Amino acid sequence: MAEYSLETKPSKSLRKRLTERGPMVLYGILFAACLAVGIGFHFQQWSSQVPLSTTLFLLYSAVTTVGFGSLWLFLRRYYRLRQDSPAKTLWSLLITGFILISLAAITSRIGRIDAPGLDLGLGFDLNTGIALTFPTIVKMVVISVLLILFAFLLLNRFQGLVLVKRSKTSQRNWNVMLFSMTLTAALTLMNTPGAGQSQWQNMALAVSVVFMVVNSFRLSWIVFLSFKEKLATIGLCLVFATFLILAFGIAQFSSDLFVIGGSGFLQHFFVPLATFVEQASLFGILYCSTAFLSLLFHLPTSGDYEQRAGERATMHSLAHLVGQVFDAETLFATIASAPVEAGSADASWLVMPDPSSGSLRHHVVSSHNISPDRISELVDSALLVDEMTAQGDPLIIREAPADHRLNVRPGDQMGSLLVVPLIARDELIGALFASKAVVSGFERDDVETISIFAAQASVAIDNARLFEQQVEKERLARELSIAREVQRKLLPQSVPQLPGLSMAASSISAQEVGGDYYDFVQLENDRYGVIIGDVSGKGTSAAFYMAEMQGIFQSVSRLAATPSIFLHHANMALAQTLDRNVFISAIYMIVDLKNETLDIARAGHCPAAAVRLSGESRFLRTKGLGLGLDRGDLFLKSLEEERINLEPGDVFVLYTDGVVESRNPEGEEFGYDRLLVTIDENRHEDADGIHSAVLSDLKNFMGNEVYDDDMTLVVLKWHGLPLEALSPPVQSMEESK
Amino acid sequence: MSNFSVGFRTSGSVQILDLHGELDAHTAAELEAAIQKCQQENQVRILINGSDLLYISSAGLGVFMAYIEEVRESGGDIKIAALQAKVFNVFDLLGFPMLFDIMESEEEAVEKFSEAKAE
Repeated sequence: MAEYSLETKPSKSLRKRLTERGPMVLYGILFAACLAVGIGFHFQQWSSQVPLSTTLFLLYSAVTTVGFGSLWLFLRRYYRLRQDSPAKTLWSLLITGFILISLAAITSRIGRIDAPGLDLGLGFDLNTGIALTFPTIVKMVVISVLLILFAFLLLNRFQGLVLVKRSKTSQRNWNVMLFSMTLTAALTLMNTPGAGQSQWQNMALAVSVVFMVVNSFRLSWIVFLSFKEKLATIGLCLVFATFLILAFGIAQFSSDLFVIGGSGFLQHFFVPLATFVEQASLFGILYCSTAFLSLLFHLPTSGDYEQRAGERATMHSLAHLVGQVFDAETLFATIASAPVEAGSADASWLVMPDPSSGSLRHHVVSSHNISPDRISELVDSALLVDEMTAQGDPLIIREAPADHRLNVRPGDQMGSLLVVPLIARDELIGALFASKAVVSGFERDDVETISIFAAQASVAIDNARLFEQQVEKERLARELSIAREVQRKLLPQSVPQLPGLSMAASSISAQEVGGDYYDFVQLENDRYGVIIGDVSGKGTSAAFYMAEMQGIFQSVSRLAATPSIFLHHANMALAQTLDRNVFISAIYMIVDLKNETLDIARAGHCPAAAVRLSGESRFLRTKGLGLGLDRGDLFLKSLEEERINLEPGDVFVLYTDGVVESRNPEGEEFGYDRLLVTIDENRHEDADGIHSAVLSDLKNFMGNEVYDDDMTLVVLKWHGLPLEALSPPVQSMEESK
Repeated sequence: MSNFSVGFRTSGSVQILDLHGELDAHTAAELEAAIQKCQQENQVRILINGSDLLYISSAGLGVFMAYIEEVRESGGDIKIAALQAKVFNVFDLLGFPMLFDIMESEEEAVEKFSEAKAE
């Protein structure tokens, strides 16, 4: 039959099918061929009415074994990749089984003569066991194939159930069971049909029964069923077990209820296969029974289990959700509502200290199903948080109305209370409260579920805070870089080019913005003003005063005839705005190019270094208070002014304390002497040359140290006026060196 | 970096503050706190002993300016004594000797306080 159906298939697709399901087709052909040959043996036996010789019988056994082995492999391959649900597996197996057994039952009833009081048997010679008629052979073969097919199907389908969540051991146990079943079957090879089993065969059967029992307890799939599925599966198992018992009977007590003489036909067909089918049905009955009982025991806890699973799933998704929220308000609301949303509590709220108000006391930041006012009426949250912190574990109050720490009376809808900590980076950042209307409402796994959620919520809050801080930090950095740009523009963008006078200047801030200031201004009659200033302190506040100083300089300098007058005006203007602890040191110089003089006044600033061509060097340490130190007359009274008649080669260096106070890695200061020596050594250079010489000296001195103060350096060098005054910049007289 | 500390002593009715280490923008708050403490205890005759003061920045000088007015108004004074040469130079450059009594030794300063009291 199989061969025939194969030939009718379109030859076009045969190759394709062969490559796709090559092995399956091969098994199919092999099974059909072996079956045909097997029938041949029976036909020969019937026609001669002489039992087969031992050699022929062994040959028949081999052919039949190969044939049904192929069928087994065919089915195994077919079901290998099937991933059906347990209920579907049982259901489809039940339907298939019912069809197969029905077919067998119908076949067993065809051509049967029921004579009352006369047992005609199954149609086999009682002595030789040979079929008496040809239809008996056909009946035998059809019934046997149907029963064997069902047994094979049963084992293959149950394998899928037994090996859910398989381990090495479970896989091995299954294989050992199949092996012992096959061995038991093989031992019955020489048995005559209907004969009892020997001691050895019984022992082998006992071994396979042991492994059947072991495999029967592989019921992991039950855990994953929902309540409804469990109910349905219980029914299926019951029906299936009953069906198997009725169809096959237990052990040797074959039942003729469905298939009349089913076992007998099978035994006449091939005894080992009959034994195998018997064992398979026994396993089916065992497995269905254990599954039935196990399901029955699981049924009452199923609801609880599902609820827990539901709570956990909700908590999990909420935990995932809170990880996505960066807005504090929304985040707190989501966290506070989670225990209620998940069904673990009737009301819940989140408490945290409020750092913006400077209070470390925990207070309610968000609540769900209960108002903050109601909470403070019933519960002193801060006190409970302290208690929880003291005991280092979640705090569980089983009977809220009876607890002296709470102000809860019966009827307040608060029977039990749970407090779990929110801990981020080993620091308590808050606590999650959950309450239930019933007393003793929180079980251990409730505490666990809420605690796990709290841990994830803590991370989310921490992340949101870090995110906020990062945003704030970036904003500040942006503001500061803007401030830096603005301040840079307050300093001269270039050094004026003047006849006879070369100048160079630079300023470095230790932070983004600083309090150092220098500037140039052109006054009337070829006079130029040069200022350097240093606001006490560093950073932003210093930068604001520096900007003020710049405004004063730009507006007042042109009106002031002498450096003293300018500084006096500046002091008066600054007195209005400077904080008491802030002052500004400054030096103001006016260079008169025509008269070749330099007037200088010092308001508390580091004295300017003056070096002449001859090498004569000194600091111009005129008296004078810092700007802002005295807001009365003392400032002007104290202020001295010095006039210097310029000589070609004169060098003047203005600097802030950052220069002389810079330290090397040993902690030694650069100092005044070193500065003066460096200027002296480079006095033949022009202003730029001296400027860069001082900076590079300073850099060498400091090594790897970083600037920790603002540092400004202004260098002036008088080259002398050429004969035709006020002509373009002249090469200095340093040729004379 | 912040190796600065203030020691408290009294000599008669004079509160002596011994400054140790480096007084800069970071450590200025400590001296502020010390002076505030003196004010709270009504000890307004304050003598700063700078023999162990190694460095002072403009922010450090600002502390003296911040409190001198209040202290003088309440009848006291802040006098400074025994500064190291380098530190005195910083005071001197800004003209502090014109605003404060800066003495070479603690004894001189204490004496100056008692003179003022005698008047």
